[in-house]
Amino acid sequence: MLAIQLAITGLQTGALYALTAVGFSLIFGSTRIFHFAHGATFVVAAYLFYAVFNAGWGVAPGILAAAIGAVVFGLALDRLVYVPIQRHEGSFFTVFVASFGVGIAVQNIIGMVFGRGFVTVNTSLSRSVEMFDNIYVSPLAWIAILCAVVFLGGLQFVLLKTHVGMSLRALSDNPELVRTFGLDPRRIEAMAFAIGSLLVVPAAIITSATTGLNPSVGHHVMLISLAATIVGGIGSIPGTVLAGVLLGLAESMALLVVDSQWTEAVTFAILFAFIIIRPSGLLGRTIAH
Amino acid sequence: MEAYIFNLVNLIAIYAILAVTLNFIMGYAGIYSLAHAVFFGIGAYTGSWVAQNVSPSIFVTLPAAMAASAVVSLLLALPALRVRGEYFVAASLGLQVLAVTIFSEWKGFTGGIGGVLAIPAVRIMGVEVYQPSQFSILSVAMLILVLLAINALVHSSFGRNLRAIRDSESAAASFGKNVPMIKTISVVISAALAAVAGVLYASYLSFINVETFTLDNSVLIMAMVIIGGTGTIAGPVVGAAVLLLLPSLISYFAFLPQTEIGALQQIIYGLGMTLLMIFRPGGIVGRRAGK
Repeated sequence: MLAIQLAITGLQTGALYALTAVGFSLIFGSTRIFHFAHGATFVVAAYLFYAVFNAGWGVAPGILAAAIGAVVFGLALDRLVYVPIQRHEGSFFTVFVASFGVGIAVQNIIGMVFGRGFVTVNTSLSRSVEMFDNIYVSPLAWIAILCAVVFLGGLQFVLLKTHVGMSLRALSDNPELVRTFGLDPRRIEAMAFAIGSLLVVPAAIITSATTGLNPSVGHHVMLISLAATIVGGIGSIPGTVLAGVLLGLAESMALLVVDSQWTEAVTFAILFAFIIIRPSGLLGRTIAH
Repeated sequence: MEAYIFNLVNLIAIYAILAVTLNFIMGYAGIYSLAHAVFFGIGAYTGSWVAQNVSPSIFVTLPAAMAASAVVSLLLALPALRVRGEYFVAASLGLQVLAVTIFSEWKGFTGGIGGVLAIPAVRIMGVEVYQPSQFSILSVAMLILVLLAINALVHSSFGRNLRAIRDSESAAASFGKNVPMIKTISVVISAALAAVAGVLYASYLSFINVETFTLDNSVLIMAMVIIGGTGTIAGPVVGAAVLLLLPSLISYFAFLPQTEIGALQQIIYGLGMTLLMIFRPGGIVGRRAGK
């Protein structure tokens, strides 16, 4: 029974992990920008939703505010930080340090504005309902899984069937070729940031109503996104989704064997093992050394 | 005021040792580790355990801490031999997160979240060194020793091998260099010397806990190297000094709300990292752009 309960919780966590990780994976896969401030986008979206909802304006305006905030934040970072760094051909580490700096600043600004403690959005949906014998599931768990299916399905459609998706994939395959075909790589890059940032919004909102928020939650989001991206295989969106779900499940099911303090260690032990044994990840192409 | 300045000197010297040893693998072997605080921690925990249970003599604590750190660093050498770039950063990050969990759960050795209290002052030939002014002689001397050691290594044939690997691993291998061995040795040396900083830190503060050995601190050390100038001798020392002086500079601005000083420091430090990377990616000392 406990195993089933943990599996359902794990699936919910995994759905949220998949949603947050895919944004990072999409941006990294297509632009090669190590967007470590992706966790900050999550926090910005989550707190905007919290602020609007708590002001009594309701759910829909909250979602709208979070979505606009996330996209604007992602685009601004690209424009103000990554584009200038790329202009002088900064290495991947230059980008990483700059991005990490943004993450630290955002975390502390949010902390000054909203306080450093946990805040939660209270809705009737967060309460768990007994599904059958001793198995409790909250409606939000179903919403999380549904969101993951809808948004990730939508992303897959965009990537495979639309012009935007094709240019994103072209950018990841060969940035030079994109330029020779008269496409502007900067615009495609901006597109990747807009879509990638938008994808964290459902996860951010659901998290604000389930486990709650504090300013440093972005840190955890970022680490999970990186782990899922690598375990799934860099450049593979389905791989990232699969890895996100599996990491969520592994974290939850690990509770059968170890204490809860070890859940994060379990995730990163898996990441470490993958890098040593199979660095190309679950579904990734073999890596160029 | 004097104690305050000597205190800063000690912290800068300790962090400069960390930055210099990280720069050794980052700047010369191209191994960008986000797990340096782990070896800082292993040095500190081992040093304080030995000081409490065996002897606080620096001739006992230092070798023990360095040996422990060197052994654990083999775990970091594992991914360093297999992958590079973002993969290695992720692997070192995994090691860092694992280590923090172990640091906070292995209560018998690390005191868990509470940390280790009442660590004896370091003893050098029977003399206890604990006052900030006395200790600063020790910490600066240690920094100079580490600098000399690293400098000698970098300019030896071993250092040339390292640079060859950084610039082209395959070329180095084709010239018959034992790339895995050279990489492993450099990781081990870097970790063992980082443990020196750990021993100094623990005996100086006489209290340590896991907070000091987290990812945030690993990033801080990496930022010191990058902001100071990767691959330069003076860069990491300058980087350590700048980042550690920043908070005290900020607290001089009296008009800032006192309760938010910590957060403001972090904001300035974060944005400072970002702006430097945009406008001066080679670091303060370095001249090379980017790369």
